[in-house]
Amino acid sequence: MLELKHIKKSYDNVTILEDINLQIQDGEIVSILGPSGCGKTTLLNLVLGLTPADSGQIIFNGKDITKVPMEERGFNIVFQDYALFPNLNVYKNITYGLKNKPGISTKEEVDEFIELLGLKEHLNKKIEQLSGGQKQRVALARTMVMKPKILLLDEPLSALDGVIKESIKEKIKEIARDFHLTTIIVTHDPEEALTLSDKVLIVNKGSISQYGAPQEIITAPENNFVKEFILNQLEIKKNNIFALFHQSMARTVQAGARL
Amino acid sequence: MIRKEREIKVIYIVILAVFAVFLAVPIIRLLMESFLGDAGIGVANYIEVLTEKGFLRAFGNSVTVSVCSALIATGLAFFMAYSIQYTNLNRKFKSAVRTLAVLPMLLPTITYGFAIIYSFGKQGLLTKLFGRQLFDIYGFNGLLFGYVIYTLPISFMLILNTMGFIDKKFMVVSRVMGDRPGQTFLQTIMRPLLGTLAASFVQCFFLCFTDYGIPASVGGEFDVVATVLYNEMLGSIPDFNRGAVVAMMMLIPSVISIILLKYLERYNVRYNKISQVELKKNPVRDGICAVGSTVILVCVLAIFAVIFVVPLVQEWPYQVHFTLDHVRDVLNDQSLFGVYQNSILVAVCTALVGLLVTYGAALATARSGLNGKLKGVIDAIALVTNTIPGMVIGIAFMLIFSGTPLQNTFPLIILCNVVHYFSTPYLMMRNSLSKLNSSWETTASLMGDNWIKTIVRVVTPNMTSTILEVFSYYFVNAMVTVSAVIFIAGARTMVITTKIKELQYYTKFNEVFVLSLFILGTNILVKIILGYFIKRKEQKEK
Repeated sequence: MLELKHIKKSYDNVTILEDINLQIQDGEIVSILGPSGCGKTTLLNLVLGLTPADSGQIIFNGKDITKVPMEERGFNIVFQDYALFPNLNVYKNITYGLKNKPGISTKEEVDEFIELLGLKEHLNKKIEQLSGGQKQRVALARTMVMKPKILLLDEPLSALDGVIKESIKEKIKEIARDFHLTTIIVTHDPEEALTLSDKVLIVNKGSISQYGAPQEIITAPENNFVKEFILNQLEIKKNNIFALFHQSMARTVQAGARL
Repeated sequence: MIRKEREIKVIYIVILAVFAVFLAVPIIRLLMESFLGDAGIGVANYIEVLTEKGFLRAFGNSVTVSVCSALIATGLAFFMAYSIQYTNLNRKFKSAVRTLAVLPMLLPTITYGFAIIYSFGKQGLLTKLFGRQLFDIYGFNGLLFGYVIYTLPISFMLILNTMGFIDKKFMVVSRVMGDRPGQTFLQTIMRPLLGTLAASFVQCFFLCFTDYGIPASVGGEFDVVATVLYNEMLGSIPDFNRGAVVAMMMLIPSVISIILLKYLERYNVRYNKISQVELKKNPVRDGICAVGSTVILVCVLAIFAVIFVVPLVQEWPYQVHFTLDHVRDVLNDQSLFGVYQNSILVAVCTALVGLLVTYGAALATARSGLNGKLKGVIDAIALVTNTIPGMVIGIAFMLIFSGTPLQNTFPLIILCNVVHYFSTPYLMMRNSLSKLNSSWETTASLMGDNWIKTIVRVVTPNMTSTILEVFSYYFVNAMVTVSAVIFIAGARTMVITTKIKELQYYTKFNEVFVLSLFILGTNILVKIILGYFIKRKEQKEK
């Protein structure tokens, strides 16, 4: 279990995060959702260990890790633009960490990740030859090989389009389920957050607006921000899509009637 | 393209004509000269020069001292750039490093040499402070010192720039993947910089190899190619044929350098996105960088201190009380103050003509429907001007324009500078122009503008920053250049740098330093004024 207690962070006297308290259970997928500049990336960096907290505690499995440096926390991250090493091919990127920690994953496990993420036929390719979705999967594989205790994903879907987005979503869910891996995802897209995760953490202006399961957020929004900015957006999307399907259904019905 | 683009074709032809007359013809003439001899056309000159012990030694000296200087300059520049990009040092300290590191660029190289003499020489400022002469300044040591000061700013800007384009997020990835700090450093900083470090080395080598100012002052008995070349052309027994051969020998390493630079461009790593991450707190690293950068800058600036000290005291080193006498003398001496006025005139005209030429050339390549091959010609010209050392252009001009009405005139000096420094400002112009929206000309012509009007009303106002930068680049370089103008300036068209060379002959060093101060002051003033306008413009755009 990961626990944040009274976490505070400011830069140059500008408060970014104020009194953040939350608990994440093992194996949960949690999305951090909020508009740009709300502090969600800072929160991710705090968990990762890249940014030190001004005050408060981060506790992981009962151990205070607030002062533990990034390298020793054993968490890992996939960045929005993947940060794959351009001078190494796909396979060398995936097995990059094995050079430093031989045996952290066995050969069979590496093959399993490659298989799971469908990268077998791309192993000898250069990074620049890959599409966005393929790069994302390579980055995921590279991170999974390190057997992270928590997997952090920074806007994992925002650079991808349509169908690929849905398939990566499934992969993330599959990984979290199969490996019982706590996964924290930063996103600004309510649809993504609510359809991908077990719990959603809505952040606004440096503090938690609401934290709960997607159903709770839809049925019991706690404040105006959640209603106005999160639900309203989904409502508009829903209506648009319904209208679209309704029209085409009506047309089918009409066509049927004419016959 | 339906538009006829008559204007751009005219511009293109004019530009080509300028470079044909002031670049192609002189260089071809120089090449021919090197093959001409008493016995007709042949390689006799080459055999004569190349089998000579003197020349071969000078060539070897040039290579050795240039390689050493380039290595040291690149190393130091990397250290300073690292201090700026990868430490949590105070922002003010960083901006001070940034400013001070490039200061030497505002002075002519010939001044560096004299500054070194007056710092480390027998009566030097630093010799007095330390109580003994630290090392023998004439020859290898002096050259090395001068070249490092000369190339450090250029290498620093190059490395700092590329470092700014490295995605720092890779450091995080490397760390969470379990790399040790040394590996992280190699993989995420050194690896993406390799191309630039090599490019910096080559660039520094090229600059040292072709510079004349520093060997002119501290070379001593240690002959390098530049001094041999000068002596062949303007020495006691000038021999133009042999000089032309030496010039060709100077050209060859330059050509190789530029080819290498082109090749190294491929190794530049391109990141899709540049992200800043919070750097690890590391007081030891920050401390080392702060101390190291300070030491480097203090060393450079200490040498320049003499430029301020020597001319402002009565008689160095015997009467060291403050006086403005020497400055007043220079101001009152028309033969000296006149050269300052000449220099300003040349610099302003160079900047204006240079602006027109580079703007026209860049318009032709970046904003016209001209055939790709025609555009390639201009790019090739830029590459060639980058390759040819100033001394070679100067000598070629001397050979071809002697006896013509252009000989020893200001227009010739101005055109020489414009051609010599064409490459960098042209590329600056081309890059900015190609970033502007490509439909402007079409849109404006639909609204009734003719082409010239569009350029004046739409394109130029959006180019202000670049135009000011190009102006400043040409101005500063025209003020400090010595290697080309030394061969083409006449008695009435003397500029400061050539005057300094003459004053050296009469050992009038107070005047040398006063004139150097004038150059420095003028350049700083121009930089500040233009910098202010560029900044204001950029802020408005935000």
